[in-house]
Amino acid sequence: MKVLIKALAATALSTASMAAVAHATDLRVTVWTGSAPQLAMFNSFAEGFKKTHPDVNIKFQTIPAADYTQKLTFQLAGGNVPDLGWIMEDAAPAFEQAGLLMNLTPTLKNTEGYDLSDLAKPAMGLWETNGEIYAIPFSTSPFMIYFNKTLFDKAGLKTPLQLAENGQWTMEKWRQDAKALKDKTGVWGFEFKDGEGYDSRILHAMMPPIRAYGGYAWKKDDCGFDKPKAVAAMTVLHDMVYKDKSIVPPGVQGDFFSGNAAMTINQISRVPNLADAKFDWGIAPLPSGPAGEAPVIGQAGFAVFKQGKHPQLAAEFLAYMTNKKNSEIMDKYFPPARKSVVDGKQFVEGNSAIKPAQMKYVAQAIASGRVLPSNVNIPQIRAALKPTMDAFWKPDSDPKKAMSAVCTAIGQFL
Amino acid sequence: MTTHAAGRQPVRGFRAPRLSLKYRAAIEGWLFVSPMLAGFVIFFVGPLVGVALYSLTKWNLLTQQSTFIGLANYADALTKNPDFWLVIRNTAIFAAGLVPLNMALALCLALALARPRFGAVFFRTVFFAPVVTSAVAWAIVWKFLLQGQGGAINELLATIGIAGPNWLREPNWAMAAVIVTRVLKMVGLNMILYIAALQAVPRDYEEAARLEGASSWQIFRMVTWPLLGPTTLVIMVITTIGSFKVFDHIYLMTGGGPENGTLVLAFYIYQQAFKFFDVGYASALAMIMFVMVFILTLLQLFLARRNSK
Repeated sequence: MKVLIKALAATALSTASMAAVAHATDLRVTVWTGSAPQLAMFNSFAEGFKKTHPDVNIKFQTIPAADYTQKLTFQLAGGNVPDLGWIMEDAAPAFEQAGLLMNLTPTLKNTEGYDLSDLAKPAMGLWETNGEIYAIPFSTSPFMIYFNKTLFDKAGLKTPLQLAENGQWTMEKWRQDAKALKDKTGVWGFEFKDGEGYDSRILHAMMPPIRAYGGYAWKKDDCGFDKPKAVAAMTVLHDMVYKDKSIVPPGVQGDFFSGNAAMTINQISRVPNLADAKFDWGIAPLPSGPAGEAPVIGQAGFAVFKQGKHPQLAAEFLAYMTNKKNSEIMDKYFPPARKSVVDGKQFVEGNSAIKPAQMKYVAQAIASGRVLPSNVNIPQIRAALKPTMDAFWKPDSDPKKAMSAVCTAIGQFL
Repeated sequence: MTTHAAGRQPVRGFRAPRLSLKYRAAIEGWLFVSPMLAGFVIFFVGPLVGVALYSLTKWNLLTQQSTFIGLANYADALTKNPDFWLVIRNTAIFAAGLVPLNMALALCLALALARPRFGAVFFRTVFFAPVVTSAVAWAIVWKFLLQGQGGAINELLATIGIAGPNWLREPNWAMAAVIVTRVLKMVGLNMILYIAALQAVPRDYEEAARLEGASSWQIFRMVTWPLLGPTTLVIMVITTIGSFKVFDHIYLMTGGGPENGTLVLAFYIYQQAFKFFDVGYASALAMIMFVMVFILTLLQLFLARRNSK
């Protein structure tokens, strides 16, 4: 009998401990960064969340950026739904419209100390529908000019930063300097973002000059690429590639980060790429054009998937991750949409890799910048842009005709 | 002891087995092939039927909405979508360029390397190595070599006074470049098949022909080539099917560009399914590709049978 009682007790104990283990909740977060310091930072948030939610285990899963939206969509369609995930800015409208994202407004409002009014209105545009918030843009990161100071010194030129200080950093000066750098040092004057300006980053290549000239990509169903201001801006780019031969042309590998281009355009999340750089470098604002300064911002949002197993818990973790304290930790890689953080001294002066004199331009660009154009049909627009822009990027193409072909191709998707 | 045991167990009378030998053999046979058959049904027949059914729907993966629309996807592809015929044209050009080039080169290499002579094994390995090389590494290296400015190919051409084109940025050259680099990657496989076939050709035939005064070309044309017939057919079928299904090479080297110049069917299907999430339309395109490859294979088998008669 005693043996029987012991056996029963042991069974009850082991069942209870199994129940405790089963009680622990796992949350999965999909991200596209594979950077070790960035992942360590996110894991520290997971640990921090455990203080109030000891039974919650959070895992960050990296899906490379190139296939991110596609793989995430297949996870959602296949029933393998992550609890939270980063959302690319161009995918945001389609994800919202498809009803995949959870409405975060109630959770954020009920989270103690979460200041919703601190989130900059212009930065929230893409992530809000009918006054309800579907994602928090944890990264509201402007595109900046990265320059190779060693090459500028070699060519005897003032750096973009020095020119910006004196209000002389214009599109014209940018073009002149890119050519001078190529002529004097033999290194390409400028490279488009990640060397992908002719392929996956076409809009990133086109939009800064087009906006500096006062043009636009599209407004509702009105295509702006063939309007005079956009054509003028694109003609400058075309001339720089084929007349000045200062921009890395299509079909040629440049790479600013290994010293094979004197300037490029990118966000501050790329600073870790320069950890082992064998040259002096700096960042500066985008050159201003006839329409004045026109900073361009790239965003990424954190969202909770409605079909996930624990959407409420996931929303609470999202609120924790994007509160003011954690936004201040994230800001060295991902400038947040929080006004109090970006306007604060810490943001400009507390970045160990970028000097305050340069970070102040990042803060300014966040305050006045606009995000890249978006649309619910962005994958189709991108696919239609590619062949027409291939035709534009030829030495003998007529920019005006080529840009009107662009509008014809994308018109049906606007 | 044995007698004792036998004494306890009554001896049974002879009874015919319930199933005849023929049926038993059949059941055993099915049991032996069942693992393979299960795999075939689950991983081939199942998806094939699935794709056929999806092709009759408008199914958006993102919204998870699926509506039955009959043959509308097929009608759209065949009659309304101008890209579809461009894609078919590109696929046909790719196959027409790749198949003869691949087979001719494979045959030449096999003829040179079939006989055991000094260095033959080394060169066989050299030509076969790209087959087992990662497609990604192969594409990245070729993208560097084919750069318009500073690429090794153009630098080489410049030494003999030829200004090479921007290979992967001009539609016609891009197609030529992907065909040639694909051939160089895959030719080793066909070379091995031809070498095996050549080594199976009895030496007596060649010796007899030589005694009759036949030249090397005549021996190849009249003796070797006809004996390679079955191998040539197999190589032609698998190379044609492979060329219609090419995806990785295009994805890695040109992304279907420039100006859609290398947008081939498999890549186009990928774009529809994985970029636009239009699974129904992509499935219809996949069915069209299946039918095309199937007809081509039947045609090749038919022609081969007619020739052999």
